[in-house]
Amino acid sequence: MSLIELTAVTRTVLIPDADPLTILDGVSLRVEPGERVSIVGRSGSGKSTLLNLLGMLDLPTTGELSFEGESVPAMKPGRRDRVRGSNVGFIFQQFNLLDGRTALENVTMPLLYARGPRFWGRERIAADILDRVGLGHRLSALPGSLSGGEQQRVAIARALVRQPKLILADEPTGALDVETGQSVMTLLDEIVREENAALVTITHDPAIAARSDRHFRLDRGVLTVAEGAARNAGRADEPVTDGPVADDAVAVL
Amino acid sequence: MGGFLAGVVGACAEAWQEVRIHKGRVLLSLIGVAVAVCALSGAVAMSAIAQQATIEQADSAGGRAATLTMSMQPSDSTATGRQQATQAWFDVLDRYEISYASRVFWGSSRVQFPDSVQEAGMTVVDQPYGEMHRTRMVEGSWFQPGDSARLAPVVVINTPFWESLGSPDLATHPTVTIDGLGGAKAVIIGVYGTSSWDTWPSMFMLTGHFESLLDPVQAAGSMPQYEMWVPPDLARELQTRIQAELSGAVGAQGFVSVDRSDWGAQMDDPTTILRVITMVIGGIILLLGALSLVNIALVTVRQRIREIGIRRSFGATSGRVFFAVMMESVVATVVAGIVGVILAVLLVQSPMVSELVSFGGISDVPPFPASAAVFGLVVATVVGALAGLIPAIIAVRVKVIDAIRY
Repeated sequence: MSLIELTAVTRTVLIPDADPLTILDGVSLRVEPGERVSIVGRSGSGKSTLLNLLGMLDLPTTGELSFEGESVPAMKPGRRDRVRGSNVGFIFQQFNLLDGRTALENVTMPLLYARGPRFWGRERIAADILDRVGLGHRLSALPGSLSGGEQQRVAIARALVRQPKLILADEPTGALDVETGQSVMTLLDEIVREENAALVTITHDPAIAARSDRHFRLDRGVLTVAEGAARNAGRADEPVTDGPVADDAVAVL
Repeated sequence: MGGFLAGVVGACAEAWQEVRIHKGRVLLSLIGVAVAVCALSGAVAMSAIAQQATIEQADSAGGRAATLTMSMQPSDSTATGRQQATQAWFDVLDRYEISYASRVFWGSSRVQFPDSVQEAGMTVVDQPYGEMHRTRMVEGSWFQPGDSARLAPVVVINTPFWESLGSPDLATHPTVTIDGLGGAKAVIIGVYGTSSWDTWPSMFMLTGHFESLLDPVQAAGSMPQYEMWVPPDLARELQTRIQAELSGAVGAQGFVSVDRSDWGAQMDDPTTILRVITMVIGGIILLLGALSLVNIALVTVRQRIREIGIRRSFGATSGRVFFAVMMESVVATVVAGIVGVILAVLLVQSPMVSELVSFGGISDVPPFPASAAVFGLVVATVVGALAGLIPAIIAVRVKVIDAIRY
């Protein structure tokens, strides 16, 4: 059973005094447990919308979206929130750490929505994972006193603290310099592999995309397989591929 | 059950974290609500003190609940007739086992003060009168049961009287010469408190001493008023029975009138208006405090849209966000409520305020009413919940996708 699956998903938004805007058009994608997938595309191509759908923050206008075989639109909102909290971890481009909270409090935050031993032992669990990302000595540091790389490592720790099955990374190195970005991605890869979580990375950077097992390109809402991602690593200006349409992509997964 | 407990504890932990981080905002909210709760609890407590003062003043004038006041005029107006009527009253007291009863004469008499002879008020009573009218002593003591057996008359004077005499030490057994009673020297055994506006020297004397000093012809001229302190629930029945029994004793030409004179006989509680006014004022103050709280909470929740979006993306349900935002308001107002109640206790218990509210002091100073403290805390919690409702609704309506890009 796939971890998450999109079948012929379309997402349109209504615009006043204009035709509905199609952001995603017939997207099909299947992500298996432990798999690493990258999606590249220009700004406005629908990457974030796709990420929101994968993270169950948004619902498709048409088509099917399922998580571990269960239809996401059919879930009640509360259950959808709980399934997301237990199974999905987000890493944002701008880190999105909570201001005024220490690194430990930021990483503890997702565990406030857990139950049982994870809830009651939340501070210990958060401290352990911060230690794993090399920030065991910065537990009490506020986001403002951390470097960009450190902030993103806190964000990675926060995304992983509930041991999710799926990590969604939206331009995880977008706010970092090349060297720091590579180091953060190396760390992310390692931890994701150790946790056996699936990682979907959305990026402009072919070098980051090249770290994944499978590569896709999103162009004007249409998802295609990017065959030449590894080949084109480091050449972000060029189109990644002219690969087949998304339906074909599903066929080869 | 475990999940529910974790949810509640988690929401409280979140709320406390929020309160801790936004100290400035919380402090502002706290001040407004604390002042409001302090005002409200203080008003309720001061109302209780003022109510006690009002009751005591009413008791001082009309007796405690329930005091039956009787006027009696026998057909035979001679001394013998008067004695027979009074004896009939004593019989009634014995029959109904009424131990708190007093005859009361009001009048005045010339008294020798250090610098001049002045007219002073004189109330002639029996010993139980002091307890029945809650007479507040400031020096010495009220009459004791055996005092009427003393050869020398004893008097209890009011504060202006005492001050006019130069506030003598009662341990030295000071005396006062009552010219109106044949120049009798009376020993002052106590000083009772009066309202600040009552400046006329007055005194109490026991009926036995008064009658022994009075000219028999004068004594025959008037009848006292008779007062009886009875259980309120028996007052109506006793009133009817005593009226009927004494009507027979005074003869066909005489009359007897028994009425309730205490404040409880009135249709309305005399403190109702005072209580309503203080509650209305407190309510207005609280409303202003709540409005400022809502205002600050609304501004804050708009500043926190991104944070709410992040929390939602990490699994916070809309119900949880609603509860957490509401809890922030409740946590803040409960803390403010506790501070407000403590301030109110300190304020109300200060002797200056107590003196001011009780119009010159009361004998039974009530402790800070627990009801006022509980009321203040409950109101603070309710206000916190109501004030948190609007921001909580706004927080729930936040679109996660937009919020995390905010």
